[in-house]
Amino acid sequence: MATINSTQNTKQNYINDKFILPIVILIGIIISLILVKNSSSESEFPKFITDPFTFSTWINFCEDWMKDNYRWFTRMIAGFIKEAYYSLEDFLIESPWLFILSLLLLPSIAAGGLRLGLLVLIGTMFWGIVGMWDAAMQTLALMGLSVFLSVIFGVITGIICSQSDRAEGFIRPILDTMQVMPAFVYLLPAVFFFGIGGPPAIMATMIYALPPVIRLTNLGIRQVPSETIESATSFGSNRLQLLFKIKIPLALPSIMMGINQTIMMALGLVVLATFIGAEGLGTEVWRAIYRLKVGWAFEGGMCILFMAIMFDRFSLALSKSPEQDLPKNKVAFLFLPQNWDDNSLAQMVEKPLRIVWDSISLFFTAICYALSHLIKNIIQIVNKNFAKNVKNFINKRVFLFSSILILIFILVFDKYGPGIGAFPDSLNMSFRKPVDVSVAWLTVQPNFIAFTKGLRAIVYLYLLHPLDIYLTHVPWWYTMGAFVLISWVSVGVRFAIVCAVLLAFIGACDLWMESMITLSSVLVSVLICFIFGVPLGIAAAYSKRFDIFLRPILDAMQTLPVFCYLIPVLMFFGGNIVSAVIATVIYSLPPMVRLTTLGLSQVSVTVTEVSQSFGGTGFQTLRKIKLPMALPSLVMGFNQAVMMAFAMQVVTPLIGGKGLGRDVFGSLAKSDTGKGLAAGLGIVLLAVIMDRLSQAWTKNQRKALGL
Amino acid sequence: MKLANFYRITLAFIFSVLISLASVLPANAAKRLSASVADWTGGMVTCQVAVAVLEQELGYKVKRINIPSGTGLYEAIAAGDVDFACESWPSYTEMDTVMVGHFGGDGSVQWLGDTGIVGASDYYVPKYFVDANPDFKSWKDLNKYKDQFSTIETGDKGRLIGCPVPGWNCYDQKRLDMLGIDFIADELGTETASWAEAQAAFARKEPFLLYSWEPHWIHAAMDLVGVKLPPNAPCETWNEADNYKDCGLGKWPATGWAEDITFNYGNPDVFKDHPEAAHMFSKFSISNKDQAKMIYAIDKDGRDIAEVVQEWKDANKDIWSAWLP
Repeated sequence: MATINSTQNTKQNYINDKFILPIVILIGIIISLILVKNSSSESEFPKFITDPFTFSTWINFCEDWMKDNYRWFTRMIAGFIKEAYYSLEDFLIESPWLFILSLLLLPSIAAGGLRLGLLVLIGTMFWGIVGMWDAAMQTLALMGLSVFLSVIFGVITGIICSQSDRAEGFIRPILDTMQVMPAFVYLLPAVFFFGIGGPPAIMATMIYALPPVIRLTNLGIRQVPSETIESATSFGSNRLQLLFKIKIPLALPSIMMGINQTIMMALGLVVLATFIGAEGLGTEVWRAIYRLKVGWAFEGGMCILFMAIMFDRFSLALSKSPEQDLPKNKVAFLFLPQNWDDNSLAQMVEKPLRIVWDSISLFFTAICYALSHLIKNIIQIVNKNFAKNVKNFINKRVFLFSSILILIFILVFDKYGPGIGAFPDSLNMSFRKPVDVSVAWLTVQPNFIAFTKGLRAIVYLYLLHPLDIYLTHVPWWYTMGAFVLISWVSVGVRFAIVCAVLLAFIGACDLWMESMITLSSVLVSVLICFIFGVPLGIAAAYSKRFDIFLRPILDAMQTLPVFCYLIPVLMFFGGNIVSAVIATVIYSLPPMVRLTTLGLSQVSVTVTEVSQSFGGTGFQTLRKIKLPMALPSLVMGFNQAVMMAFAMQVVTPLIGGKGLGRDVFGSLAKSDTGKGLAAGLGIVLLAVIMDRLSQAWTKNQRKALGL
Repeated sequence: MKLANFYRITLAFIFSVLISLASVLPANAAKRLSASVADWTGGMVTCQVAVAVLEQELGYKVKRINIPSGTGLYEAIAAGDVDFACESWPSYTEMDTVMVGHFGGDGSVQWLGDTGIVGASDYYVPKYFVDANPDFKSWKDLNKYKDQFSTIETGDKGRLIGCPVPGWNCYDQKRLDMLGIDFIADELGTETASWAEAQAAFARKEPFLLYSWEPHWIHAAMDLVGVKLPPNAPCETWNEADNYKDCGLGKWPATGWAEDITFNYGNPDVFKDHPEAAHMFSKFSISNKDQAKMIYAIDKDGRDIAEVVQEWKDANKDIWSAWLP
């Protein structure tokens, strides 16, 4: 009886879910449409709330108070950082370029072999070739310093967390919140406390890039196997010895992974920090965008891309455990992939490389041995034993000492020889002219004009404009009610209250209309993203070849900082609100594609086979079995796309974007920190709400599918 | 590959050596200045002229900082984040009377001297529009023709290709509303986007209303006619009949802009320590004509700013040599 009853119940629920929910939604939409029809102007938050709630004035007041009372303190910190930053920058810019090149090249050869070395060589030369050497050095200085600080603080905090559960419990929620925040959020308080320029950018970047180091240091130390710890304890190590001699060395690969992520995040923000007056490659791109110089912006973007890839691969190579030994009969490949080693053509390429490589190492080994012998003989006069140790020390580190020799040689050659100096102009082969010319050629083609105009009109007239009108004209209380209701149903009462408070805050700051415009841009972008991303993801899941083709492109897209996405859009669509949407779509596409592919490929083979044995065609299997099973993953992709779209909103005003982003952007110029902070918070709060809602949705879907 | 293994340990060593090396190197702070390069071409040219003279003749090293002009820049200069900035237009600036001692402010920002550039701003329509509509005399007639100026984005209202950057304090929309012009001000984000939009409309021979100023190359590239906004005048002469809504603070921006005697400005403490640079700025002067020529070469011919200014500097030694102490 009981079972029958429960089946009936589920059936009842099923019918409820199937019919009542859509009907409720439909009725809700119809009512809102009627409300829109009857409202003549944009919905505004009631004056009696917005007038007394002058959040931005309070913030500005606070800022003035801080300036009067604590400026000396923040300026002092900024002063220290400024000193370090300026001297590092001077050092990088004024050193002979070959010196800097070797400084980057030699460690990467040591860490990742010739392959990485070649990549670094190409990347570094590229900066010089397009004439952005100085800008690249400025970015390097900013990034280097912030990563340095980040790693110091991060590793210390991580170690503390790993030693005390209470500390971990305290820090973890902070880290969680930090990772949801869009990058630009860190820039606003930095301006508030430290003003504009390099030092606040370094402070912001340092804080922004902290979480991965802390997390992975903590994780790495906690994951040290307990047998190792026990055996160390049984040999009588105390807690500190255990930590520094056993745990941290064993956790090094994990810490290096954290540093890798930190470097990538830091690069992203350092480039973005050009908004607060920090210099570097980001500034080049920004200036180019300002002047609508596509070729110039493109070169800047490429420089950033090269830098990102270089540092990513370099820090990954450091975190990887040393390669395992090959079978005796095979020779390690220096340049080509190892699994080509049966191919005779590859052998032909590799053989001479190997010979050159070996002779170079032989040469440097000989020099190093000679040097160590010389030093030994000198020290021997004083202390025989010590001299022997020194000799061994040097002989064991041939690569390091030959690297140092090369660097010293370059410095000496620069100082007393003919001089090397800055990157030579003769190597300059900027390609902005041809890019500009071809873009100019393309943009006057009648077909192309028709295409871009058509696209602009379709996106604007059928998507953006109606949604803008709809969202801004629906009375605020109705939208708010709908949001609260949705969060109640999908997450719970507590979040519904939080949601109401957050939306009320946005409204009370008198940002309701702007936030609705932002919401509409984000929704339209994510919708378009969905339309293009899901088919691409499906294609990649079905065709291995397409997947291999797509993967590096997506990788590159995810390493590029936000505002490089403005370049291609600017190139083809000019500056207007639709361009802003298109840029947002491109930026948020990768996670959508990735997670679709992931979701589909995770559907177990048995399920697919069962469906096929029942006679389901490929398309049916996809539509009825695979896609529903992959839905949680799709929603995850949707979630990430939404978050990225929100992050993009601050950058798009550069090419005509509207809404809250423009307030954030404009408030910097107007020195209206309060307004900027309120608008920035508005974006963050909207993002938080959307994030929670879609995550709850994923959870429910997973539960329903029994995953 | 044991190489990678030991390198990991020594890498930290190299970095620490690097950083100590860097801190030992003399930071030649004595001859260092930081400048904000402006966010419009004319201002960039003025700044580049000043920077070129400072760097090549007075041995300074000038760091170029990129921040949008506006109140934020004034505060950054007062706080010492930026040492100087170029070509402030008084009728756009709200901080000159608050912060610049020369104009009766508190002196936290120093007036370094006029630039020699005299600016005039207005809203413009293309000549072909006026020719086709001889009834069109001034801004008062804009409403009659507003449907010709409308776009899909503005609906039944006309569209002004407005002041592109919020930090410039143009108050386009407010001005339009106060003057009762039924137009929407479109803020395109960058100056260049504004010109691109205007040029596209010009090429199609469509009517458009454009915010612009002189000296500017756009007037050489296309034939524009100002709409003669009500003249900017002291408060006493204003009255309701002229459609000026109220006097006092609220009256602005219900008029056009006053003629702008532009000036360079900087941090007073910094220029106390650098009398040579201060002297250079006090004598600094370039003409509207020269600036317009350079702007044309940069924006119209697409040449590099530094290159164009260098050419001007090489050809006009007599002008800038008079600025040197």
